[in-house]
Amino acid sequence: MTALDDAQEEAKGDMTPMIDVVFLMIIFFICIDFKVLESKLPAYLPKDKGSQSDVVEPQEQLSVKIHVESAGTPIYPEGVTAGTISPNGRPYRFKLEGHRVKWEVGPKPLYNLADVQKELVRIAQDPASQVPDKETGGKKLMTCVIEAYPGTYYEDVARTTDACNAAGFKEINFGGGLGAK
Amino acid sequence: MDLQKIVKQNVEMDMTPMIDCVFLLMIFFVLVIDLSQKNLEDLILPRAEYQEPDDQPPENRPIINVLQSGAVVYEQNVVYDPTVHGKNYAPIKQLLLDIRRQGLLTGRLKLKEEKVGSKMVPLIDDPILIRADKWTEWHYIGEIMKQCSQPDIAFWKVELAMSEQDKENPKKRTP
Repeated sequence: MTALDDAQEEAKGDMTPMIDVVFLMIIFFICIDFKVLESKLPAYLPKDKGSQSDVVEPQEQLSVKIHVESAGTPIYPEGVTAGTISPNGRPYRFKLEGHRVKWEVGPKPLYNLADVQKELVRIAQDPASQVPDKETGGKKLMTCVIEAYPGTYYEDVARTTDACNAAGFKEINFGGGLGAK
Repeated sequence: MDLQKIVKQNVEMDMTPMIDCVFLLMIFFVLVIDLSQKNLEDLILPRAEYQEPDDQPPENRPIINVLQSGAVVYEQNVVYDPTVHGKNYAPIKQLLLDIRRQGLLTGRLKLKEEKVGSKMVPLIDDPILIRADKWTEWHYIGEIMKQCSQPDIAFWKVELAMSEQDKENPKKRTP
Protein backbone atom coordinates (compact mmCIF):
# COMPACT_ATOMS: atom_id res chain seq x y z
CA MET A 1 0.00 0.00 0.00
CA THR A 2 2.85 2.33 0.88
CA ALA A 3 4.69 1.50 -2.38
CA LEU A 4 1.51 2.24 -4.34
CA ASP A 5 1.19 5.63 -2.61
CA ASP A 6 4.80 6.45 -3.57
CA ALA A 7 4.16 5.51 -7.20
CA GLN A 8 1.07 7.73 -7.28
CA GLU A 9 3.04 10.64 -5.89
CA GLU A 10 5.72 10.27 -8.59
CA ALA A 11 3.12 10.25 -11.36
CA LYS A 12 2.02 13.81 -10.51
CA GLY A 13 3.50 16.07 -13.16
CA ASP A 14 4.84 19.56 -12.51
CA MET A 15 2.59 21.93 -14.43
CA THR A 16 4.94 24.95 -14.23
CA PRO A 17 6.95 24.34 -17.45
CA MET A 18 3.79 23.74 -19.41
CA ILE A 19 2.27 27.01 -18.18
CA ASP A 20 5.54 28.79 -19.05
CA VAL A 21 5.43 27.43 -22.58
CA VAL A 22 1.79 28.45 -22.95
CA PHE A 23 2.63 32.01 -21.84
CA LEU A 24 5.53 32.13 -24.30
CA MET A 25 3.25 31.02 -27.12
CA ILE A 26 0.59 33.59 -26.16
CA ILE A 27 3.16 36.42 -26.19
CA PHE A 28 4.64 35.18 -29.47
CA PHE A 29 1.29 35.10 -31.25
CA ILE A 30 0.20 38.48 -29.85
CA CYS A 31 3.41 40.15 -30.97
CA ILE A 32 3.69 38.54 -34.40
CA ASP A 33 0.49 40.32 -35.48
CA PHE A 34 2.25 43.70 -35.12
CA LYS A 35 4.59 42.93 -37.97
CA VAL A 36 2.72 43.16 -41.25
CA LEU A 37 5.03 42.76 -44.20
CA GLU A 38 5.23 45.76 -46.46
CA SER A 39 5.74 45.80 -50.20
CA LYS A 40 7.44 48.35 -52.36
CA LEU A 41 6.52 49.77 -55.73
CA PRO A 42 9.54 50.99 -57.63
CA ALA A 43 9.05 54.20 -59.61
CA TYR A 44 11.72 56.00 -61.57
CA LEU A 45 11.66 59.76 -61.80
CA PRO A 46 12.98 61.67 -64.83
CA LYS A 47 16.79 61.81 -64.69
CA ASP A 48 17.10 64.87 -66.86
CA LYS A 49 15.01 67.41 -65.00
CA GLY A 50 16.65 70.79 -65.33
CA SER A 51 19.97 69.28 -66.24
CA GLN A 52 20.02 69.56 -70.00
CA SER A 53 19.03 72.04 -72.60
CA ASP A 54 18.70 69.60 -75.51
CA VAL A 55 15.43 69.48 -77.38
CA VAL A 56 13.59 66.36 -76.20
CA GLU A 57 12.04 64.26 -78.91
CA PRO A 58 8.38 63.43 -78.35
CA GLN A 59 8.01 59.87 -77.08
CA GLU A 60 5.00 57.66 -77.37
CA GLN A 61 3.61 56.98 -73.93
CA LEU A 62 0.50 55.56 -72.34
CA SER A 63 -1.49 58.01 -70.28
CA VAL A 64 -3.45 56.68 -67.31
CA LYS A 65 -5.61 59.42 -65.83
CA ILE A 66 -7.33 59.16 -62.47
CA HIS A 67 -10.37 61.42 -61.91
CA VAL A 68 -12.47 61.68 -58.78
CA GLU A 69 -16.07 60.57 -59.21
CA SER A 70 -17.08 60.88 -55.57
CA ALA A 71 -14.86 62.58 -52.98
CA GLY A 72 -16.10 60.42 -50.10
CA THR A 73 -16.79 61.21 -46.45
CA PRO A 74 -14.09 61.03 -43.76
CA ILE A 75 -15.22 58.93 -40.80
CA TYR A 76 -13.37 59.53 -37.54
CA PRO A 77 -13.47 57.24 -34.50
CA GLU A 78 -16.40 57.93 -32.17
CA GLY A 79 -16.02 61.14 -30.18
CA VAL A 80 -13.09 62.37 -32.29
CA THR A 81 -13.12 65.40 -34.56
CA ALA A 82 -10.72 66.40 -37.33
CA GLY A 83 -7.34 67.51 -36.01
CA THR A 84 -7.68 65.87 -32.57
CA ILE A 85 -4.31 64.58 -31.42
CA SER A 86 -4.08 60.93 -30.36
CA PRO A 87 -1.96 59.72 -27.40
CA ASN A 88 0.93 58.91 -29.79
CA GLY A 89 1.22 62.62 -30.65
CA ARG A 90 -0.18 62.31 -34.17
CA PRO A 91 -3.67 63.35 -35.35
CA TYR A 92 -6.33 60.63 -35.30
CA ARG A 93 -6.72 59.06 -38.72
CA PHE A 94 -9.99 58.89 -40.58
CA LYS A 95 -11.44 56.26 -42.84
CA LEU A 96 -12.78 57.53 -46.14
CA GLU A 97 -16.11 56.06 -47.12
CA GLY A 98 -17.80 56.34 -50.49
CA HIS A 99 -14.65 57.52 -52.31
CA ARG A 100 -14.82 56.56 -55.98
CA VAL A 101 -12.54 57.27 -58.90
CA LYS A 102 -12.71 56.83 -62.66
CA TRP A 103 -9.72 55.91 -64.84
CA GLU A 104 -8.91 56.84 -68.39
CA VAL A 105 -6.45 54.38 -69.88
CA GLY A 106 -5.54 56.08 -73.11
CA PRO A 107 -8.92 57.33 -74.36
CA LYS A 108 -10.90 54.52 -72.68
CA PRO A 109 -12.91 55.36 -69.53
CA LEU A 110 -12.97 52.59 -66.92
CA TYR A 111 -14.72 52.36 -63.57
CA ASN A 112 -12.93 49.64 -61.61
CA LEU A 113 -9.37 48.56 -61.08
CA ALA A 114 -9.90 45.03 -62.39
CA ASP A 115 -10.91 46.46 -65.79
CA VAL A 116 -7.94 48.85 -65.69
CA GLN A 117 -5.68 45.87 -65.06
CA LYS A 118 -7.16 43.94 -68.02
CA GLU A 119 -6.82 46.94 -70.33
CA LEU A 120 -3.20 47.50 -69.25
CA VAL A 121 -2.35 43.86 -69.92
CA ARG A 122 -3.99 44.09 -73.34
CA ILE A 123 -2.00 47.22 -74.22
CA ALA A 124 1.25 45.75 -72.87
CA GLN A 125 0.81 42.65 -75.06
CA ASP A 126 0.00 44.67 -78.18
CA PRO A 127 3.07 44.85 -80.47
CA ALA A 128 2.09 48.44 -81.31
CA SER A 129 3.00 49.40 -77.73
CA GLN A 130 6.67 48.66 -78.38
CA VAL A 131 8.80 51.77 -78.90
CA PRO A 132 12.46 52.11 -79.92
CA ASP A 133 14.94 51.78 -77.04
CA LYS A 134 17.73 54.30 -77.52
CA GLU A 135 20.01 52.61 -74.97
CA THR A 136 19.99 49.13 -76.47
CA GLY A 137 18.90 49.92 -80.00
CA GLY A 138 16.11 47.38 -79.70
CA LYS A 139 12.49 47.77 -78.65
CA LYS A 140 10.86 48.26 -75.27
CA LEU A 141 7.40 48.71 -73.83
CA MET A 142 6.30 52.35 -73.87
CA THR A 143 6.38 54.46 -70.72
CA CYS A 144 3.24 54.67 -68.64
CA VAL A 145 2.37 58.09 -67.19
CA ILE A 146 -0.04 58.20 -64.29
CA GLU A 147 -1.84 61.52 -64.03
CA ALA A 148 -3.66 61.91 -60.76
CA TYR A 149 -6.22 64.70 -60.78
CA PRO A 150 -7.03 66.86 -57.73
CA GLY A 151 -8.84 65.01 -54.97
CA THR A 152 -7.16 61.66 -55.61
CA TYR A 153 -5.50 59.83 -52.76
CA TYR A 154 -2.36 57.75 -52.35
CA GLU A 155 -4.58 54.64 -52.34
CA ASP A 156 -5.85 55.43 -55.87
CA VAL A 157 -2.40 56.13 -57.33
CA ALA A 158 -0.53 53.33 -55.53
CA ARG A 159 -3.01 50.68 -56.61
CA THR A 160 -2.99 51.97 -60.18
CA THR A 161 0.83 51.88 -60.17
CA ASP A 162 0.64 48.36 -58.77
CA ALA A 163 -1.61 47.35 -61.70
CA CYS A 164 0.77 48.99 -64.23
CA ASN A 165 3.70 47.10 -62.75
CA ALA A 166 1.79 43.83 -62.84
CA ALA A 167 0.89 44.41 -66.50
CA GLY A 168 4.59 44.62 -67.32
CA PHE A 169 5.21 48.37 -67.57
CA LYS A 170 8.73 48.98 -66.32
CA GLU A 171 8.92 52.73 -66.78
CA ILE A 172 6.24 54.46 -64.77
CA ASN A 173 6.19 58.22 -64.44
CA PHE A 174 3.86 60.51 -62.59
CA GLY A 175 2.30 63.53 -64.23
CA GLY A 176 2.79 66.38 -61.81
CA GLY A 177 1.44 69.84 -61.30
CA LEU A 178 -2.17 68.85 -60.89
CA GLY A 179 -2.24 70.24 -57.37
CA ALA A 180 -4.69 70.03 -54.52
CA LYS A 181 -8.45 69.65 -54.90
CA MET B 1 22.78 21.87 15.25
CA ASP B 2 19.76 20.21 13.59
CA LEU B 3 17.78 23.42 13.78
CA GLN B 4 20.61 25.31 12.08
CA LYS B 5 20.59 22.79 9.19
CA ILE B 6 16.86 23.23 8.72
CA VAL B 7 17.21 27.02 8.66
CA LYS B 8 20.01 26.76 6.06
CA GLN B 9 17.91 24.48 3.84
CA ASN B 10 14.98 26.90 3.84
CA VAL B 11 17.17 29.83 2.76
CA GLU B 12 18.02 28.19 -0.63
CA MET B 13 15.88 29.88 -3.28
CA ASP B 14 14.43 28.29 -6.40
CA MET B 15 15.76 30.35 -9.33
CA THR B 16 13.58 28.71 -12.01
CA PRO B 17 10.63 31.15 -11.91
CA MET B 18 12.99 34.14 -12.06
CA ILE B 19 14.80 32.74 -15.10
CA ASP B 20 11.41 32.05 -16.70
CA CYS B 21 10.37 35.64 -16.11
CA VAL B 22 13.62 36.98 -17.55
CA PHE B 23 13.16 34.89 -20.69
CA LEU B 24 9.56 36.06 -21.05
CA LEU B 25 10.62 39.69 -20.76
CA MET B 26 13.48 39.19 -23.23
CA ILE B 27 11.18 37.65 -25.84
CA PHE B 28 8.59 40.37 -25.30
CA PHE B 29 11.07 43.19 -25.81
CA VAL B 30 12.80 41.54 -28.77
CA LEU B 31 9.47 41.23 -30.55
CA VAL B 32 7.98 44.59 -29.62
CA ILE B 33 10.99 46.89 -29.78
CA ASP B 34 12.28 46.28 -33.25
CA LEU B 35 14.90 48.98 -33.71
CA SER B 36 14.83 48.67 -37.49
CA GLN B 37 11.23 49.91 -37.43
CA LYS B 38 11.84 53.10 -35.45
CA ASN B 39 11.57 55.19 -38.62
CA LEU B 40 8.20 53.71 -39.52
CA GLU B 41 5.16 55.73 -38.50
CA ASP B 42 1.97 53.90 -37.64
CA LEU B 43 0.21 54.25 -40.99
CA ILE B 44 -2.32 52.22 -42.90
CA LEU B 45 -0.85 51.58 -46.33
CA PRO B 46 -2.74 50.61 -49.49
CA ARG B 47 -2.84 46.89 -50.13
CA ALA B 48 -0.50 45.57 -52.80
CA GLU B 49 -2.02 42.89 -54.96
CA TYR B 50 0.83 42.14 -57.30
CA GLN B 51 4.02 43.37 -55.61
CA GLU B 52 6.65 41.28 -53.92
CA PRO B 53 7.19 41.80 -50.18
CA ASP B 54 9.89 44.20 -49.07
CA ASP B 55 11.34 41.59 -46.71
CA GLN B 56 15.02 42.50 -47.06
CA PRO B 57 15.04 46.31 -46.97
CA PRO B 58 18.44 47.94 -47.52
CA GLU B 59 19.79 49.47 -44.30
CA ASN B 60 20.84 52.73 -45.92
CA ARG B 61 17.47 53.52 -47.47
CA PRO B 62 15.99 56.81 -46.23
CA ILE B 63 12.33 56.51 -45.25
CA ILE B 64 9.94 59.46 -45.51
CA ASN B 65 6.56 59.08 -43.83
CA VAL B 66 3.53 61.12 -44.90
CA LEU B 67 0.60 61.31 -42.50
CA GLN B 68 -3.05 61.65 -43.57
CA SER B 69 -2.87 65.38 -42.95
CA GLY B 70 0.01 65.66 -45.44
CA ALA B 71 2.56 66.17 -42.65
CA VAL B 72 5.98 64.81 -43.58
CA VAL B 73 7.73 62.89 -40.82
CA TYR B 74 11.38 61.86 -40.93
CA GLU B 75 12.97 59.94 -38.05
CA GLN B 76 9.96 60.73 -35.87
CA ASN B 77 10.26 64.51 -36.42
CA VAL B 78 7.55 66.46 -38.24
CA VAL B 79 9.46 68.30 -40.96
CA TYR B 80 6.57 69.75 -42.92
CA ASP B 81 3.07 70.41 -41.64
CA PRO B 82 0.50 71.77 -44.14
CA THR B 83 -1.34 73.62 -41.36
CA VAL B 84 1.87 75.52 -40.51
CA HIS B 85 3.76 75.71 -43.81
CA GLY B 86 0.88 75.75 -46.29
CA LYS B 87 2.25 75.80 -49.82
CA ASN B 88 5.78 76.57 -48.69
CA TYR B 89 7.50 73.29 -49.51
CA ALA B 90 10.98 74.56 -48.62
CA PRO B 91 11.22 72.32 -45.49
CA ILE B 92 10.73 69.23 -47.71
CA LYS B 93 13.46 70.40 -50.07
CA GLN B 94 15.76 71.12 -47.13
CA LEU B 95 15.08 67.67 -45.66
CA LEU B 96 15.98 65.96 -48.95
CA LEU B 97 19.12 68.07 -49.29
CA ASP B 98 20.11 67.13 -45.71
CA ILE B 99 19.47 63.43 -46.36
CA ARG B 100 21.58 63.63 -49.50
CA ARG B 101 24.44 65.54 -47.84
CA GLN B 102 24.47 63.30 -44.75
CA GLY B 103 24.20 60.14 -46.86
CA LEU B 104 27.09 61.11 -49.12
CA LEU B 105 29.25 62.17 -46.14
CA THR B 106 28.72 58.89 -44.30
CA GLY B 107 28.89 56.76 -47.44
CA ARG B 108 25.34 55.46 -46.92
CA LEU B 109 24.34 56.89 -50.31
CA LYS B 110 26.33 56.72 -53.51
CA LEU B 111 26.43 58.99 -56.54
CA LYS B 112 26.50 57.58 -60.03
CA GLU B 113 27.25 59.49 -63.22
CA GLU B 114 24.71 58.68 -65.91
CA LYS B 115 24.55 59.86 -69.47
CA VAL B 116 21.37 61.80 -70.02
CA GLY B 117 21.09 63.25 -73.49
CA SER B 118 24.51 64.68 -74.25
CA LYS B 119 25.56 65.31 -70.64
CA MET B 120 26.82 63.19 -67.75
CA VAL B 121 24.49 63.78 -64.78
CA PRO B 122 25.31 62.80 -61.16
CA LEU B 123 22.40 60.85 -59.67
CA ILE B 124 21.87 59.18 -56.30
CA ASP B 125 21.88 55.49 -57.13
CA ASP B 126 20.14 54.37 -53.94
CA PRO B 127 16.36 54.30 -53.50
CA ILE B 128 14.29 56.42 -51.15
CA LEU B 129 11.10 54.98 -49.66
CA ILE B 130 7.91 57.04 -49.34
CA ARG B 131 5.39 55.63 -46.85
CA ALA B 132 2.06 57.40 -46.89
CA ASP B 133 -1.27 56.62 -45.33
CA LYS B 134 -3.70 55.25 -47.92
CA TRP B 135 -5.99 58.26 -47.42
CA THR B 136 -3.30 60.91 -47.90
CA GLU B 137 -4.03 63.32 -50.73
CA TRP B 138 -1.77 62.42 -53.63
CA HIS B 139 -0.48 65.94 -54.25
CA TYR B 140 1.56 65.80 -51.01
CA ILE B 141 3.39 62.70 -52.28
CA GLY B 142 3.63 64.27 -55.73
CA GLU B 143 5.36 67.27 -54.17
CA ILE B 144 7.98 65.04 -52.50
CA MET B 145 8.58 63.27 -55.81
CA LYS B 146 8.87 66.61 -57.57
CA GLN B 147 11.52 67.70 -55.08
CA CYS B 148 13.33 64.34 -55.39
CA SER B 149 13.73 64.84 -59.14
CA GLN B 150 15.36 68.27 -58.80
CA PRO B 151 18.96 68.21 -60.13
CA ASP B 152 20.48 69.33 -56.80
CA ILE B 153 18.74 66.44 -54.97
CA ALA B 154 18.59 63.80 -57.75
CA PHE B 155 16.92 60.88 -55.98
CA TRP B 156 15.53 59.23 -59.08
CA LYS B 157 14.76 55.81 -57.59
CA VAL B 158 11.63 56.26 -55.51
CA GLU B 159 9.83 53.39 -53.86
CA LEU B 160 6.22 53.63 -52.73
CA ALA B 161 5.36 51.54 -49.69
CA MET B 162 2.35 49.27 -49.77
CA SER B 163 1.09 46.60 -47.41
CA GLU B 164 0.61 42.88 -47.79
CA GLN B 165 -2.82 43.24 -46.22
CA ASP B 166 -5.36 46.01 -45.86
CA LYS B 167 -5.26 46.73 -42.14
CA GLU B 168 -8.32 48.99 -42.46
CA ASN B 169 -10.52 46.24 -43.93
CA PRO B 170 -8.71 43.02 -43.05
CA LYS B 171 -11.39 40.73 -44.43
CA LYS B 172 -12.74 42.74 -47.35
CA ARG B 173 -10.78 42.13 -50.55
CA THR B 174 -11.55 44.79 -53.08
CA PRO B 175 -10.89 44.13 -56.78
